[in-house]
Amino acid sequence: MNAASNKLTPYLFMAPALVLFLGFLVYPMMHSLVVSLTDWDGLSATWHFVGLSNYVTIFTDPASRAALSNTLIWSAVMVTVPTILGLGMAVTLNQKLRGRTFFRSVFYGPTILPLSAVALIWVWLYNPHFGLINEVLRGIGLKSWAKGWLSNFDTALPAVLVTAIWHGAGFPMLLYLAGLQGVSPSQYEAAALDGAGPWRRFIHVTLPGLKETHIVVFTLAIIGSVRSFELIYAMTYGGPGRSTQVLATWMYFNIFQYNQAGAGSAIAWLIAAISLAVTIPYIRLMSRR
Amino acid sequence: MAVERKSWTRNTLLLVALAIAAAFWLIPFAFLILTSLRAQGELLSDGVFSWPRELRWTNFAAAWNVGNFSTYFANSAFVVALKVPVGILVAALAAYPLAKMKFAGERWFFTLFLIGLAVPMHVTLLPLAQLSQKLGLSDTLWALLPPYIAFGLPFQILVLRGFFRTVPTALVEAARLDGCSELGVFFRVMLPVSKPALATLLIIDVVGTWNELIIALVLLSSETSRTVPLGLLTFQGQFGVKFAQLSAAIVIGIAPMVIVYVIFQRHLIAGMTAGALKE
Repeated sequence: MNAASNKLTPYLFMAPALVLFLGFLVYPMMHSLVVSLTDWDGLSATWHFVGLSNYVTIFTDPASRAALSNTLIWSAVMVTVPTILGLGMAVTLNQKLRGRTFFRSVFYGPTILPLSAVALIWVWLYNPHFGLINEVLRGIGLKSWAKGWLSNFDTALPAVLVTAIWHGAGFPMLLYLAGLQGVSPSQYEAAALDGAGPWRRFIHVTLPGLKETHIVVFTLAIIGSVRSFELIYAMTYGGPGRSTQVLATWMYFNIFQYNQAGAGSAIAWLIAAISLAVTIPYIRLMSRR
Repeated sequence: MAVERKSWTRNTLLLVALAIAAAFWLIPFAFLILTSLRAQGELLSDGVFSWPRELRWTNFAAAWNVGNFSTYFANSAFVVALKVPVGILVAALAAYPLAKMKFAGERWFFTLFLIGLAVPMHVTLLPLAQLSQKLGLSDTLWALLPPYIAFGLPFQILVLRGFFRTVPTALVEAARLDGCSELGVFFRVMLPVSKPALATLLIIDVVGTWNELIIALVLLSSETSRTVPLGLLTFQGQFGVKFAQLSAAIVIGIAPMVIVYVIFQRHLIAGMTAGALKE
């Protein structure tokens, strides 16, 4: 093998990956950045540059603002509730308990299912007439509580969030279980000798010992939240009204239903920008390995 | 003795709490299966809690044949069968030089791929639709493959590079001295010793590919080209009120993932955590 081909070897190995990555990820991403600066409808041959006005619209248009504020609510819930649940499950299952692998499998199970299937399962549970949830409420004498959870303005978003938590809590649990293996038992022993009870040991040893895991869990939770699309698309289609509209669904409707390719692409780029901003510290952590 | 009793009480309380949580997690599945096995009419008369008067396996046949589920299933199987091995091979080829060779821009290329971890599919959808039209792949399963592979690469390259780096350099050097080309080293040394990592990625990728919805939603339109997650949504429209058949369809749609999970859980769990955490 001569010297020139030797030098080329690494690039040749990377060539298929680079072609696919640049052609089907980087190029479309950059293309949509350009589209986001135009008034293109997605169909016609003509369009004009409109500067950043599509981005401004996200923060001024009432429908967009509804999507934005729902995304904030969604993110606030999904960053806290599954994380706390997952941490609780992990700390509990990290002890020598009967059936711990069974419980771990049960809690993690939903995360491997297609989200559209998860959505349909819960649409069925929430069904106003025969759904399990309303049947239980009627059965225990809370008939007045029974309602169309997904068609009610006040309950639709919380109802989809319950589904999202059911689907997603297993993942932080898994990450925390892995993180807990890195907290040394000697620290617990030292704390116990100092007279610290279980709660104080949790606050002063476990939580700080999981610092890196917290970063990973929060990062992934934020990225996951701003991207959330499938459950809402399949369960409520953004409705009723705008009550469950989030950035990802609003983006989709703009581009593919309302012929607002420019505006939709700006929303897509906002999602990407948040995602990139949150992930860069995480990527730096990974690339330092 | 006192300590033992205290920990016994504590463990019992924990187990009760866990059992309640597990029930919350399992009940949706129980009712899905129960609903998939009963006659639609019973739901109206007997309610969801009653035991089915007779087990209606015909719901599954109806979902499979009438609901076109056989087509969706075959489509998803086709995409998984092509995307997963090709994608992992492409990722492994790229991970090898990033782990074991020194070259200009090494760090730059790695970071480029890693940034892909942060890119949401959302930002590529419209251009991907246009691209697939230009390539003459509109509404075909082939259109899914390049973007699916591209979006799988960052995670797979990250994991494989990490694994390849743990392969002793002496092993690679020895193969080179024996006259192996770099491609030979890759296929005869790196891939065989990386079987555990490859198996883990394979399983994670089967799950991810089977479940993907957004790109499929945008690139596929006709009845005959839909994948399972997309087909399920169509089903909801067609069979909206036939809960029994809809449930049967959901059971069919999730069955492969449940089987994969039951058999390969260890791999899946190890891989999901290894990818996300710094070891």
